[in-house]
Amino acid sequence: MKIIVPVKTNPDLQMIRIKNREPILEAVPYKVGDLDKNSVEAALQLQAAVGDTQVVALTIAEGNRKIKDTMKEVLAMGADEAYILSDDALTAADQAGKALALAKAIEKIGGADLIVFAEGSTDNYSGQMGPRVAELLALPEIGYAKKLTVADGKLTAERGMGDLIEVLESSLPAVVTVTSEINEPRIPTLMNIMKAGKKPTTEWTLGDVGLDAAAVAPQKAVLSNLAEEQQRKNVMIEGSAEEQCAALIDALIKDGVLEA
Amino acid sequence: MDFRFTPEQELYRQSIRQWLETNLWPRARGIDEAEDGIPTDITEGMASMGMFGTTIPERFGGLDIPDEERMVYAMITIFEIARADMSMSTPVYTLLTIGWAYIINKYGTQQLKELVLPKVAEGKCFCGINTTEPGGGSDLANITTIAPPEGDYYVFSGEKAYISGPKECAKWGYPSGHCTLAKTDPNAGYKGMSFIYVPRDTEGITDHVYKDMGRMGLSTGGFIYKGAKVPKWCLLGEEGKGFYVNMDGFNAARIIVAAACLGGAEKSLELSRDYCKQRVLFGKPISKAERISFEMADDWMQLDMLKLNLTRAAWMYGYNDVNPGTFSRAELNKVVSTCKCLSPTLGHDIARHGMIYHGGFGYTKDTPLEMMLRGVMSYEVGAEGGLNIMRGIICRDEFGDEYNPFKD
Repeated sequence: MKIIVPVKTNPDLQMIRIKNREPILEAVPYKVGDLDKNSVEAALQLQAAVGDTQVVALTIAEGNRKIKDTMKEVLAMGADEAYILSDDALTAADQAGKALALAKAIEKIGGADLIVFAEGSTDNYSGQMGPRVAELLALPEIGYAKKLTVADGKLTAERGMGDLIEVLESSLPAVVTVTSEINEPRIPTLMNIMKAGKKPTTEWTLGDVGLDAAAVAPQKAVLSNLAEEQQRKNVMIEGSAEEQCAALIDALIKDGVLEA
Repeated sequence: MDFRFTPEQELYRQSIRQWLETNLWPRARGIDEAEDGIPTDITEGMASMGMFGTTIPERFGGLDIPDEERMVYAMITIFEIARADMSMSTPVYTLLTIGWAYIINKYGTQQLKELVLPKVAEGKCFCGINTTEPGGGSDLANITTIAPPEGDYYVFSGEKAYISGPKECAKWGYPSGHCTLAKTDPNAGYKGMSFIYVPRDTEGITDHVYKDMGRMGLSTGGFIYKGAKVPKWCLLGEEGKGFYVNMDGFNAARIIVAAACLGGAEKSLELSRDYCKQRVLFGKPISKAERISFEMADDWMQLDMLKLNLTRAAWMYGYNDVNPGTFSRAELNKVVSTCKCLSPTLGHDIARHGMIYHGGFGYTKDTPLEMMLRGVMSYEVGAEGGLNIMRGIICRDEFGDEYNPFKD
């Protein structure tokens, strides 16, 4: 079986400082998204369960950065091979353009029995890549799976729907997106880190997958990218513990947090 | 020239930091309080992450990393462990084992390497260092433990004191033991010394343990040798050259000792940084009090400089092993001694400053700062070379014989 895991590298969110409500991205290191590690882990667990399976990681170099070293983490987790799409034209691409580029790259790799996405990216979390790529490749798609099994040429996925768990079955090939609760991603060991550098990594431009800049030109514009403002109320409640509790409950009811 | 870690080194650092924050950090206080060693599930996990294999070649069960980078990987390992266990118990346990395994690999016989190194890489063997005697550990030329050759053995008689690991040897059993300095030719002064790996389970050895002030998860004690026979294939380097082999081993050990002190120091400073931002006094956070913030800035500057020098030391040592003669012994000694002299004191200072910023809270066991203070003091009082011995080395190797305090 062949599993392709498209992953996203994003700025290390802990290293981003906010100034005048705008994120400062200068010199912030990029890393593989936390949610993307869940999808890699899911693929690796299927590989272990099914056997004779190849796990291929695929990514777009965000901002056309040099990310070969960043992708070593995915290879160190256990992916067998990596493909990186790098192109200046992709830096401004929106979800539609990126999905098209990923779909074309998947075709060029030769397709897959299963394509595993994270439920969304760790930075923007639009959650569009899985469904869009499935549509472009005309494949069935199951979103937000929290458990995956592959047996007898079929995919079975469980997803939590609040009060109930839905079990879905799909023929292969298929696209699936997984939630963070599906697993605890493994941490690469030093042995696997040293092996990662020897695994094949292929770098492609848009031209290599049969696209040009016009094909991925953005169809929407980002007008602003501001951090949410959180105004603190700074209300001090005084008195004995009992009085403070009563006053706090009153205040929470007044704000609509609690029901009277 | 490039001052950055390689992508592999950086990925390793991030990976073990995540593992240690999850698995060791929440357990460190318990290790300090239980006084019963490092829990086996932790050493097993560390071994599976590769932490015990950094200094051991793949053919002896270790890892396929470039030989000249092994000390850098060891440094990263110990630095990160110390951030997670500020009591210094787990970092010191690990640095002794992987540091002296490096020396066993460098100087040991094939038989010794095959016996000890795979077990170390698996995390199932303790290795330590055994030079100090009841009379002291700074003037090693005058030790009194003897090990004259007899047939295929060296026969040990004497006593060693303030040695880490008696209980750890008992836990893991054979072949856990210590790289031991003894006089194989009792009449020849330091030229009659040999450096020999002594498995603790050798007949004729008894031990005892002390009550320490800190790093409670690692035992310290002494050994008494009465006719203990150790096979000659346990010799490290050449007979009669033990003093030099021991000193070379100390350079390796001092690098990772400094890594332990600086890892704990960095974490201490981070704890203080976070606390002072949210502790409000006289209407503003105490981070705005320059008496505090400027001291933190001073501490950060010294920490940053020492981290840089430590990385240089780890790189120089490993590079020189693969490309012998690149650096003279004196050059290496000076860089390493700088790290070993300044890091324990800085670690102590940063922990103590942090305790003061925390006020009464800092004096409780609800912060790990007091644990750091107690643990790091072991390296101020002497372990792996006292601070004034480091100054003496720099006098000798920088200013010349007229300044050598070790010779008349």
